[in-house]
Amino acid sequence: MSGNKVDIKVVLLGKSYAGKTCLVERYLHERFNGETVPYQNTIGAAFGAKKVDVNGKKIVLGIWDTAGSERYESMSRIYYRNAKAAILCFDLTDKSSFDRIRFWIGELQTHEEACKIYICATKKDIIDADPNTRDVNEKEAQALAKDVMAELYETSSKTGENINELFMAIAQYYLETVKTTEVKEDMIYLNEVKKRLPCSCKST
Amino acid sequence: MSDLKEAEHQNTSESSDQGEFLEENAPGESENPMLIASDSYENLNYEILDGTSTAQRQTPNTESNETSTGEESNNEEQTETANDVAKKKQEIVPVEEDHDDVNSEHWRSQSKHIFILSEAGKPIYSRHGSEDKLVTIMGVMQALVSFVGDAKDSLRCMIAGDHKFVFLVRDHLLLVGVSSGMDSTHQILLQLTYVYNQVISVLTQSTLCKIFKQRRNYDLRRMLSGAEKFFDNLINLMDSEPGLLLGAVRCLPLDGSVREIIAQSIVQHAKIKDLVFGLIITNNQLIALVRIKKYYLHPMDLHLIMNLVNASESFKTAESWTPLCLPKFDSSGFLQAHISYLDDSCNTCLLLLTVDRESFFTLSDCKSKIKERLLKYNALRAISDSLQKTAYGIQQCGINDLRHFLYKSKSTAQYTSPELEAPYVTQKEKDRLFGLYKYLHHRIHTSGRPLKILFHVGPYETLLGWVTQGFELYAVFGPLVTKTSAIHAVNKLLRWIKREEDRLFILNSVTF
Ligand SMILES: Nc1nc2c(ncn2[C@@H]2O[C@H](COP(=O)(O)OP(=O)(O)O)[C@@H](O)[C@H]2O)c(=O)[nH]1
Ligand SMILES: [Mg+2]
Repeated sequence: MSGNKVDIKVVLLGKSYAGKTCLVERYLHERFNGETVPYQNTIGAAFGAKKVDVNGKKIVLGIWDTAGSERYESMSRIYYRNAKAAILCFDLTDKSSFDRIRFWIGELQTHEEACKIYICATKKDIIDADPNTRDVNEKEAQALAKDVMAELYETSSKTGENINELFMAIAQYYLETVKTTEVKEDMIYLNEVKKRLPCSCKST
Repeated sequence: MSDLKEAEHQNTSESSDQGEFLEENAPGESENPMLIASDSYENLNYEILDGTSTAQRQTPNTESNETSTGEESNNEEQTETANDVAKKKQEIVPVEEDHDDVNSEHWRSQSKHIFILSEAGKPIYSRHGSEDKLVTIMGVMQALVSFVGDAKDSLRCMIAGDHKFVFLVRDHLLLVGVSSGMDSTHQILLQLTYVYNQVISVLTQSTLCKIFKQRRNYDLRRMLSGAEKFFDNLINLMDSEPGLLLGAVRCLPLDGSVREIIAQSIVQHAKIKDLVFGLIITNNQLIALVRIKKYYLHPMDLHLIMNLVNASESFKTAESWTPLCLPKFDSSGFLQAHISYLDDSCNTCLLLLTVDRESFFTLSDCKSKIKERLLKYNALRAISDSLQKTAYGIQQCGINDLRHFLYKSKSTAQYTSPELEAPYVTQKEKDRLFGLYKYLHHRIHTSGRPLKILFHVGPYETLLGWVTQGFELYAVFGPLVTKTSAIHAVNKLLRWIKREEDRLFILNSVTF
């Protein structure tokens, strides 16, 4: 997969075991092995791509599934740099994974301003089956999402619930913003150019 | 084990005479190797000793031990202090609460334990049981080491019953190996060094030191979470794969011409700035290695790479991009590794190691092109064919009474050995055979005199060890073989290996 064929770089971040790999597996390959295969933590990061059709336009999503372990934290920039969208995953049955996404929000806000944040609450099937397993308050999750102007999705990689919707939203948002920024750029080119420069340096 | 020891007094002959084989012709030798000619066993240990700063009182003991009757020499390493504390330890353990792992029969019956703890005594890893429940025993280990350390001495080994305890202190870490098997003290030390290098491989030495300098009490498990399987896998590997003991790598048997095609595919399509090593491995065997001219790969690093691939299912689902430190190459920094499988059945793994962290997509393209070329020339087919059929059986060597052997070519740091066949097919027999090799290896490397040939008659088989400038050979015969016929047989074997060397070894080092 060549880099220049990718239109949107999407990165998944979040505590290990939060369900990132399963989410990507479900989206790319429409499968869920969670029941049969024991947990396999991701090493470094894994790359996958998918072509989607948005309103007749073909767009390639380049998806980076990261490990989420602390030892790669200092190097995580190489994975999220220039990402257009970040999916911050937390496990609905594990509060500590929710607390962890604040860290990633901070990272992205300082280093990747242009990256749109999506918060993804995973393993919905588990709390659907047994509401007692819920460990993260719904309101709290919504509040955080609102706070950082992120969209919140509750997904299940087991049933596939909401997963296509999540990636579709990413693709659509990208298409819309590409259009508007193109137009904007033409209009505000003269007075904005100086302000924009430091920004673009930052992201290279 | 004690059988072996007893028998050995009457039945071992050591000699420094040469066999008839001409050394210049050592099979698998190469003037142009791609791996660092691996340190012989002694060098490796010398290095370990250098690493452990303080007093090295015990070293001369082992080295100058003229009689060198194997395991017994270790008993002499026992210092008074070690004896005392060993006793103390035995008293302490039974007092522990009984739900503790330490008291479970299962835990106690494991033939090998490996522990990692911090200088402050915090548990980091245990091969068996959960390190959490082993806080007490690790505390004792830490106390032992610091107790002896306080006396400006260093605790290297102690013997309690038929258990050997071996200690290695490195960069704020304390590694402890406990074995009731055939491993010698030196061999356990070598295993601990591998485990230490595995830590470095996921963290780098500089990070490790930085962490503990900032907080002596740091719980390193946080940094190693997810890496436990690398340790488990590595320790298992050391009990089944002789390459780690020999400091040598096994190559997948392939025709020289196929090897050439594979290496050239990497050269042609991955000649990228900042790419340091390109290699293809399968099932703990090396298929091809291409390197930048000025850098060589150390077999120890290569074993860690194989371990990484072996222990990670996650590379099978997607192209991966991960930091990886090769301790022998550069313990202070990470290389970035592009890792992917070339075949659908996920046997053949390509690794492209670079210093450019931004080159994922470039390397991803390289991978596609390499794969294309390998398909075009049927090389992937040749690899899977070779994997499917057994490498070679001992019969193919055509030598009566020879049951099995390990042959290491020193200059290329590669080794070869036939498939295991009856009687070495059950796990118990396989372990016993490996135990014999460990014994032979230990004897030939730690004798006072520089041994060249060691002939040993055991109860079930006869062993011949032969070390020269160019090679190390460990051969296992049926029990009735005489020394003369064994020497005659290994000479014949060497000629056979020589004839097969193109297929069994990678003799040409290919560079970008
Ligand atoms: N029931 C259920 N289990 C899930 C779901 N997603 C992940 N899991 C399980 O949670 C564990 C961690 O998932 P994984 O995707 O590997 O986590 P990662 O470390 O964030 O990549 C695995 O054992 C999965 O089987 C889900 O949607 N439903
Ligand atoms: Mg994962």
